[in-house]
This record gives sequence, C-alpha cells and structure tokens, in this order.
Amino acid sequence: MKEVVYLSELEKIARLSKLGFSAEELQSFLRDINDIVAHFEKLNQLDLQDVSPTSHLGGGEPPFFSDEPQAWEGSEEVLKGAPWVAGGYFIVPRIVDKEEKENEDRRI
Amino acid sequence: MSDFTTTIGLEVHCQLLTQAKMFCRCSTDYIGKEPNTLVCPVCLGLPGSLPVLNQKVVELALRAALALHCQILPQTLFHRKNYFYPDLPKGYQISQYNLPIGIDGFLEFYSQGVRKKARIRRIHIEEDAGKLVHEGAFLPPGTSGVDCNRCGIPLVEIVTEPDLSSPEEARDCLMMLRNIVCYLEVSDGNMEEGSLRCDANISLSSSSLTGVKVEVKNMNSFRSVYRALSYEVERQRKLLEEGKPVFQETRHWDEIKGVTVSARGKEEAEDYRYFPDPDLLPFSLKTEMIEEIKSGLLELPLEKEERFMTQYELSQGEAEILVQDREIADFFEDTLRNFNKPRMVCNWIVTEVFRNLKELGTTISRAKITPSHLAELLKMVDRKEISGTMAKSVLEEMFTSGARAREIVTRRGMALINDEKELENIVKEVIEKNPQSVADYLSGKEKALQFLIGQVMKETRGQADPELTRNILIKVLSSEE
Repeated sequence: MKEVVYLSELEKIARLSKLGFSAEELQSFLRDINDIVAHFEKLNQLDLQDVSPTSHLGGGEPPFFSDEPQAWEGSEEVLKGAPWVAGGYFIVPRIVDKEEKENEDRRI
Repeated sequence: MSDFTTTIGLEVHCQLLTQAKMFCRCSTDYIGKEPNTLVCPVCLGLPGSLPVLNQKVVELALRAALALHCQILPQTLFHRKNYFYPDLPKGYQISQYNLPIGIDGFLEFYSQGVRKKARIRRIHIEEDAGKLVHEGAFLPPGTSGVDCNRCGIPLVEIVTEPDLSSPEEARDCLMMLRNIVCYLEVSDGNMEEGSLRCDANISLSSSSLTGVKVEVKNMNSFRSVYRALSYEVERQRKLLEEGKPVFQETRHWDEIKGVTVSARGKEEAEDYRYFPDPDLLPFSLKTEMIEEIKSGLLELPLEKEERFMTQYELSQGEAEILVQDREIADFFEDTLRNFNKPRMVCNWIVTEVFRNLKELGTTISRAKITPSHLAELLKMVDRKEISGTMAKSVLEEMFTSGARAREIVTRRGMALINDEKELENIVKEVIEKNPQSVADYLSGKEKALQFLIGQVMKETRGQADPELTRNILIKVLSSEE
C-alpha cells in the first residue's frame, strides 16, 4: 500500500496535540491512518453529487438527557493536564490589546 | 441637511433557563463560581467525548419561537461553526445554520405610544463560549485567563429583520423581547450579567445613497442600546453629509466615553466553515410536543397590556409599566380582587410600591407585602379612615415589618380627624400663628392656602382630613375678610 501520511507528519500532529506516544504506538497509528486515507480515496471514486452529508441518518428521535445537573468528578484533575495554569484559570498568551479588553469578553 | 432613513436590525442572544448545560450535565449556575469547576470532557472539548442534547433546551427554544409567531421547520439540525479562539476549547461552536428551530416570525411592541411590528428572521439554538479575563493579580504579564464554566450554556439567538427605524424603536423592541422571554421563563433576561445580549446592525440611507451596514456590539443595557445607536446615527450622518464613506465594520460601544470604536482586525468576513455536526442527529419536532407547548403559552406582555387598557381603562403608558414585570402585573390583578379600583391601585403600585421596592433593593415576590394587604390599606384610604400621607408611611412599615395596615394604624393611634369642630379649632390656631400667610392669601396668593393646609397637617401629624381642612380653612378665612 502506498504511504501518503509519513511518520514525520504524524509526529508533528502528536506534538501539536501535546500527546506523547511510543515508537510502537506511532507505527500502529501510521498504519491505521494510511488505511483510513486509502479508504477515503476509494470513496472518492463514487459520484456523490446529489447525496446530502446527512443522508444516512434517520429522522428519528435523537437521544436526549433530562435537565438535571450532575457534577463531573474529574473537574479537579482538569487543570493538572494544562501546560499553564494560574488562579484556577487556563493561561494563554494575551489575546487582545489593552484598549480592546473591555469589549472582548467573548466572540459569540 | 439631507434626509436620511435609519434602518436597524437586532441580534439578541438569551441564555436559556436550564439547570444543566446544552450538551452535557454540568450545572449552568456559574455566576460567582470558582473558574473551571463546572466543566467536563464534553464542554472542555476533550477527545472522545460526545454531546447529548438536553431536552429542556429544545422545549424552551420552541416556546420562544412559538411566542414570536415563528414557523417551526419540520426538521432541525446542528452545525459546527468553526473558529479559533480560546473561549471555546473545541475549536468550534455547536450552532444552527440552514435549519434553525424557527423562521419568519414577528414581534409587536409599542414605541412612543404607537404599535409597531418587527419581523423575526430566525431563531436558533447554540452554545455559549467561556469567559476570558485580561486583568487580575494572578495573571502573568502578557497573558489572558480562560474560564470554561460558561462553555456550553444554552443560548437562543433571535434575529430580527431590519424593520426598526430609530434608536427608540430598537430599544423598545428589545424591551418587549426581553419581557417575552422573561414571561415565558425562557431566560432571566438579565443584561447586566450578560444572560441577555444585544448586537445591532445599523445603516443610514437616502434617496441617492445606499446604506452601509455597521454592526454595533457590547451594549449592556437598554439605555446603552439607545445611546450607542443614537451615537451611530449621528456619526454616520456626519460622515455622509461631509461626503465621506461609511465603512462596513464591527464597532464596540464604549459606555464610559459614550462612543463606538472600530474593532480592528475583524474587517474581513470570516469563514466559519459551517458543516453538519456529525456527532448530533438531525431531528424532527413531534407535532404533539409543538401543540403541547403552544397550548401552554401564557398571556404575553402585549396581550396583557392591551387587556389592561380595555378591561381596566388604563392608559397605554400605565398598562405598559405594569406588564413590564409579570410579577407586578399579577400583583396588580391580585390586589384588584380585594379592592376593585384599577386606576387607584395602579397609581399606588407605580409610585409608592415601586419606591419602597427600590429603597429596599428587592422585588415584589420577595417583599413582605401581599396583594390583599395592599388592598386593605387602599380600602382605608378610600373610606377616608386615613389620609394618603398617612397611608404612605403605613405602607413603608408594611414593607419593612410585614405587619398589616389595620394593625399599624391602631398601634400608632392613627385616625383621620374628620370632626369638623375639632379641625376648626386647629385651623383657628394656625391662622392666629401665621398672620403673614393669611394676609397673603387675602391679597390673592393661592399658594398661601397650601402653606396653611400644610401647617394644619403638621399640627395634626398628618391626620387631618385634607379635603375637610381645605374647606374649613377657606370658610374661616373668608370670615376674616
């Protein structure tokens, strides 16, 4: 099988995702990813012009949950996985200029 | 000066009153909580987590859509709106795109006494983003802090057509929209805390000029919506009159400086790469569910306002004040059950009741006074057992102690002095003590009479029957001539 994703790319993606893998794991992922890409290559041969992206889904009821809050027990662990934390916040490089700060609490 | 037409459309975000978030079961009670304590793998966007929709979100959004006379689409779907910004860790917001929950509705409201209508283009459901902080002793220099407690709180976005033609109309439309979502218990509508947020698109055009749309953001109260849009009308008018172009851009309202400021770096239209969220199924709303919610819709503010005008013969202004808060409107009607004089009850509510609520910093539902207690007090005023002035002071105590009017009046030994003989004696004393005012009155100064009535009130600690006092004063003074 032709390799379209290289080990160097996989290592880069892992680094950007801040995930660490052993050499064996990387080899196994490399095989899987190339299989997946090859499968999509095969799908690309089909004419899907008139097929909507959600055509395979039935119109039935999706699963719902009822409006009862339930605390997640791992919330204390969350900050431990972050590279930079202060005062309970995730710390990121400053996002806005000082004069804009009042206005940019959120994007939505 | 050229004649310009102002065109305004609103985009309003309301946080829905659910207990749990939109796609996970974290609590929505985030105000004042430690940062990043109401989070889970779903709202943090951790790999492998899957969203499951909270049914209540659909119900509340549907309630709002139906109240705004929207057409409910047979199938609805969630899309991913991709953007890269730290307030949403997933890298996309789950929102709705081409299949929102409702389209083509309308909203009616009064503006400066005239009934207006704004069409609703769409109402859709989406999730809120986290909170960024840029200031605080704990922040290392040159950084911002991210709190994900607000991530995934359900919102509805309501978009009007550009049917509003002045800043006043925009404000009044928004006030009605807020009243509706509060009445329906869809949202608490609190603009200061950001559970209701409003952006506006505004343009000025004339017969020879096509309007250029400017988006105004960051307006945190009805007053700032009005001020920001008024500022923007003047700014654009001035540019156009000077023959300068208006740029299509986003501008932020600066509440303190009272100006709108261009938001730099966002001139380009963003490509959000919308696509159907593969983790969430498209779904159809069952007819039974729609019908059930429709039949459960309560009387809306405008219907109530117009009913108050016809049923109780109140003016539009009076009715509008009463219906702005559903609890006040209910309090008004509950008071009428025991004391059926609408105009008088309305007057007391909008002046004295409001004043006491404001002074105590409370709401009618938390106040110690009940509708039947107010009715009892007003009955005593109406029967002239006590004067209006006395009643005001009694009401104050009712608000602080929760005691009944009758009890307070008895304890304080309050009773209206309506014994003519007794009042006449007091009047004569007052006349004797104030020869200058008597002379003033006799030389035609009407104001002097008010002063003398005031003196009688002072002598009787407000217990004199005002009307009787006035008559006796006039009678005694005319015999002095």
